[in-house]
Amino acid sequence: MPPFAPKAVNGKKRKAIPQEEPLHPKKSKSSPSPPHESIPELEKAISESRKHYNNIVKLQELAFPKNTKAKPSTEAVIALCRVFCRLFASGSFELPKNSGKSEISIVEWLEGRKREYNSCLLAAFSQDGSYMSQAAVIPLAMRLVAAETSAVGESRWRSGLFSQLVRHLIIGGVHSEPARSIFTEEYFTAFDDVRYHTLQILQDILKNDASNNNELLSPVIELLLSLDEPPTEDEDLDSFLSASSKAAKSTLQSVKKQKKMVEQTWLSILGLPLNKKQRKDILRVFVHQIIPWFNRLERLMDFLTDCYDQGGETTLLALAGLFHLMQEKNLDYPSFFEKLYSLLDDGLLHSKHRSRFFRLLDTFMTSTHLPSNLVASFIKRLSRLALYAPPSGVVVVIPWIYNMFKRHPATTFMIHRVSRCAEETEEWETYGAEDPFSMDEQDPMETKAMESSLWELETLQSHYHPNVATLAKIISEQFTKESYNLEDFLDHSYNSLLDVELEKDLKKIPVVEYQIPKTILHGEAGDQNLGALLQQVIAVS
Amino acid sequence: MPPSQLKRLKASLREQGITGPQKSKKQKKKGLSTETKIRRNVALESIRESFNPFEVKHLSRPSKHDITTPSTLNGKTANGALGRPGISKSLGEQKRQKTLLLEVQGRNKVGGIIDRRIGEDDPNMTAEEKALQRYSWERQRKKKKGNVFDLEDGDDDEDLLTHGGRTLDEDYDAASVDGGSDDEDMQQTRKRVREELEDLETRLDEEEPDRKKSRAEVMDEVVKKSKLYKFERQRAKEDDDDMRMELDKDLSDVRAALGAFQQALSKPKPVVEAVAEPEPPAMHPDRMALIEGSQSKEAPKSYDQQLRAMLQDGRAKPTDRIRSEEEIQAEAAAKAKELEDSRQKRMMGEDEESEDEAPVDEPENIFTQEEHDDAADFGFKSKVRHSRPEGIDDEDDFILEDDLIASESEPEEDEASVASDDASSVGSVDELMEEHREGLSNGFKGPMSCPRTLEEVMAVFDHIPYEDYHETMRSIRLRSDPSIHPTHKARLDDFAAALVEFLANLPSKSEPPSSEIFDVVIRHIHSMARKSAESISTAFRQQLRQMHATKSMTPGDLVILTAIGTIYPTSDHFHQIVTPAIILMARWLGLTTPSTPQTLTTGAYLGALCLKYQALSKRYIPELARFTLAALVKSTSTALLAPHIVNLLSFATLWQHKSALPELLTPFLKPLATLNQPKALQRINVLLAQAALGRRPLALHNHRPLAIKSAAPKFEESFDPTKHYDHDAARAETQKLKREFKKERKGAMRELRKDANFLARTKLKEKRDKDRAYDDKYRKLVAEIQGEEGHEAKQYEKERRLRRGKK
Repeated sequence: MPPFAPKAVNGKKRKAIPQEEPLHPKKSKSSPSPPHESIPELEKAISESRKHYNNIVKLQELAFPKNTKAKPSTEAVIALCRVFCRLFASGSFELPKNSGKSEISIVEWLEGRKREYNSCLLAAFSQDGSYMSQAAVIPLAMRLVAAETSAVGESRWRSGLFSQLVRHLIIGGVHSEPARSIFTEEYFTAFDDVRYHTLQILQDILKNDASNNNELLSPVIELLLSLDEPPTEDEDLDSFLSASSKAAKSTLQSVKKQKKMVEQTWLSILGLPLNKKQRKDILRVFVHQIIPWFNRLERLMDFLTDCYDQGGETTLLALAGLFHLMQEKNLDYPSFFEKLYSLLDDGLLHSKHRSRFFRLLDTFMTSTHLPSNLVASFIKRLSRLALYAPPSGVVVVIPWIYNMFKRHPATTFMIHRVSRCAEETEEWETYGAEDPFSMDEQDPMETKAMESSLWELETLQSHYHPNVATLAKIISEQFTKESYNLEDFLDHSYNSLLDVELEKDLKKIPVVEYQIPKTILHGEAGDQNLGALLQQVIAVS
Repeated sequence: MPPSQLKRLKASLREQGITGPQKSKKQKKKGLSTETKIRRNVALESIRESFNPFEVKHLSRPSKHDITTPSTLNGKTANGALGRPGISKSLGEQKRQKTLLLEVQGRNKVGGIIDRRIGEDDPNMTAEEKALQRYSWERQRKKKKGNVFDLEDGDDDEDLLTHGGRTLDEDYDAASVDGGSDDEDMQQTRKRVREELEDLETRLDEEEPDRKKSRAEVMDEVVKKSKLYKFERQRAKEDDDDMRMELDKDLSDVRAALGAFQQALSKPKPVVEAVAEPEPPAMHPDRMALIEGSQSKEAPKSYDQQLRAMLQDGRAKPTDRIRSEEEIQAEAAAKAKELEDSRQKRMMGEDEESEDEAPVDEPENIFTQEEHDDAADFGFKSKVRHSRPEGIDDEDDFILEDDLIASESEPEEDEASVASDDASSVGSVDELMEEHREGLSNGFKGPMSCPRTLEEVMAVFDHIPYEDYHETMRSIRLRSDPSIHPTHKARLDDFAAALVEFLANLPSKSEPPSSEIFDVVIRHIHSMARKSAESISTAFRQQLRQMHATKSMTPGDLVILTAIGTIYPTSDHFHQIVTPAIILMARWLGLTTPSTPQTLTTGAYLGALCLKYQALSKRYIPELARFTLAALVKSTSTALLAPHIVNLLSFATLWQHKSALPELLTPFLKPLATLNQPKALQRINVLLAQAALGRRPLALHNHRPLAIKSAAPKFEESFDPTKHYDHDAARAETQKLKREFKKERKGAMRELRKDANFLARTKLKEKRDKDRAYDDKYRKLVAEIQGEEGHEAKQYEKERRLRRGKK
């Protein structure tokens, strides 16, 4: 690893680490490689006088040897980085007024060396077998960026090394994954100016390249998703990488502007055609990580309604964001409940987003002013689904239905209906009561669920799992409890149920069947020949 | 201004007619009649009373309003008089003089004569009345005198015992106590005393009933009676002694017999022999120990030992009567019914234990410690929960081999033995251990030691053919029978646990055994499950845990699940092994999509197994229906499909009374039609039609309506503001008691104070009397002396005068 930690670049941390420190380990290590002058000596000479500028070339030769046999020296790379940083700091890249021709040529020459060095560093991203690991390049590059922008000015963010670095990070795709994660963790989320300028560059990339290249989008989204909630106060924006950023207070130190930048980036992403996974990734953190960055939420409406209309899991995920907009911005989404109703499909209770959905559903159905027909449709459909659901799903549905019954007493006809007249009774006796509920009806107001009964729940009262069966019995007991806290029932699974059963120790010795049957597998008299089946299983596996 | 006291007095006297106009001399002379005199006295008394302001106590603040009723609520008189302190004080004084004063005077004094003469002090009684009362009292005393059961005392005709019209009196003694010859003289004494007594009584009877006995007579009677009682007591004691001697004599025999028996059982103990020696034949060992003193430690110990040994000595039991065929059948039926009842109870989850162990208050709630978790009420996420059916009857130490019915829940051993005696009564005998009683006579050589770990079991069983499994297991179990040595229990426990593990590994052998072999192993485990219930249960749970961890379903797992299904009652509402097992099966069915032949067959097997689990309790398994549906849709080959269709039909039949059957079965119609399964389709259609006919709207809430809380105030009839109306009955009661106590205490204190005052007054009075008496005496003496002196002085004067005169 490079001897100076990436954090050492940080202006604040710098004081804690003595400047000379990187030199010490070098001396001990440097002995084998250089046949002539040692790297520290070369480096020292450069800083002493302009005469020794040619040492840069020597160091470059050491760092990035032309002939493939020679071993590239990491120390030289680091030393070069330090040299350039010093040169930036001393203003050697700036042309003083009235400078002579020789001066100009020196600066140009230095620029050329620097460019060479930069391209060598960035080469780490372009090819596999580069001399340096990408992880090592990032701190060096960022240190140079800091020095460059501090010395030359703000404009260098967009035109200098930094923009190239970001481009490489994005274009690298899967290949530059580790470097990107380092960049994200240590620079992008940590420094406010880095974030700002990165976003600027990202917008450029999105505008020019990404519209027809979907692969570029994933890294960009990934980068953006790393952003947590925005800072609330302007004063919070105080960690800058470059010294020049402190001067440019107006743009960088305003939360509003920062938010605007993020917002714009998001908008340009959302405007592009996204694939399903990208959508889901975005929707999953939508409410907590994306919405807070937006100054004008209305701009998200199109995206969310599009997602909601897509159906399936995307719809489930878009629900939260949509609801947020409806609450905050009074978004009017026509036939919201129809759409919601259509979400209750076969996979819902098996889905891993089940608890997320039920949390939202509970919120949507809080109102006591909803039409009873609508509520009844939801109840009936969910209980129909529960008939085939795993215990963890049943366990959510039943308390929810109980709460609905409490909120909409009219729907309790579904669990208790007595005949209104003798003819009706007679009809039931002779032909049986028919179920008017239509599972295929899309409109929850038209399903006739109110006239149906919840036979499914009654069947679930004899569920094989004792606790589920007991829970299902609350439907037929007196409704004395005000409501069940749905949150307690949400996060169950087969594993949690099994854990509960198997973790505890045997407290008492279980009952053993009294009779020992004569035959068990062999020659089973029933419908199914267990023995033969077992042999079949053994044969197959 | 009210008139003066004097004027009022005059007025009232005139009113009463005591004073009036002047009477003539004639009238005066005539005097007053007695009647007028009495009336006059009464009137004077009342006037005196009314003029004494302290005679009647009034309220300090008279009531504001006039009261028209004669008495108020509090029982006070209308004129507001609270009481008459003078009268009550004098009454109290009188009472004290009668009681307290007498007590005080009688204090520290012993003896005295109590006058119990009847009517002596009562001037109201006439002589006849006195005589009558004396007579009746005497008769009563005579009656009361003796014990009701005292036969010898019965001199009254109605109390006399007779036999055949003759009194039993004469030959009673001879008949009852003629056993011992040595107490003839005693009998004689007794007879004499009795005769004397009878004589006395007849004499008394002859006398005039109301004649007073002389003191000498009374004393004589008393002495005689006390003699008789003493004699009676002596006789009873001697009778007891006789009996004890007799018993002691017999005891030596008994002990000899017992000693012999114990000697036969174990090594003869010297202590026992010493005691069993007949040398002091009739002496109680306790007594002997007391007498001898030196062995006082040892002897009682040995006695206690023997006593305990005797207590624990099994009594000879009557042999079991040979039962008739009907009796045996009836017993078997009763047993079966009992078992079925307890199973039903467990199926409904109504065991006593699960009831008192409320699942609500589980302290170990991982998720919401601080607030109430609704889900925990139903056992979700709470760590420990529930119940289990009855515990084990540990005392039931019936030998397994004799009792092949494995169950802990049987209460009596006898029943078990009945069941085992008659094999057909239970329907299943284990041939596994049938020839046990002859021992290992058929010469089969099993392993000599009991394998206790999986490795050891594998080492034993891997080298023998499958056919010998049964014999090997049998021999292992026989050799390690706990009745041979107590340590064998632990061995068998380990063997059983290892066997469970072995069973799980059995199907993965290179050459898997046939179903019979699985049956044999499972049945052996089942048979051992009674004795080694804990180790086998733990082993099964361990297997379940492994399945839970690996999330796969190997044939070994299937065999284990099958074994659980037969060994444990699967119909229980909750069972520590069956419940996790069924959840595991459902998890596999729920999370697996039937695609490969392997998943299809495993799923079919698991489905069949699930249905076997629920054969009795008919519980609903959503995962099975879903899996079967998926299998029907997905699968291609008919061979793989067939078991699923069998499963479908059997669960359709099993759940045919579930109210949601139409919803459950309708999705199957389409795949069945596409698969061209007319038979199954027809069956499903029949079931659907039946279900449609039998369907009724749900009416789950036929509960008694909850009463609406009344907000109307409670109206108290006959409300009394002075009373306290406390809703809390207990509190009201205590308040009442407290008040009563306070009142009583005050009253008692007041009484005591008055008593003390009375006593002080009495003492003072006594002292004054004494002083006065002393004073009087003194004065008297002084006066006497003075008189004497005066007399003597006079005498002297006289003498002197005489002498002077002489001179």
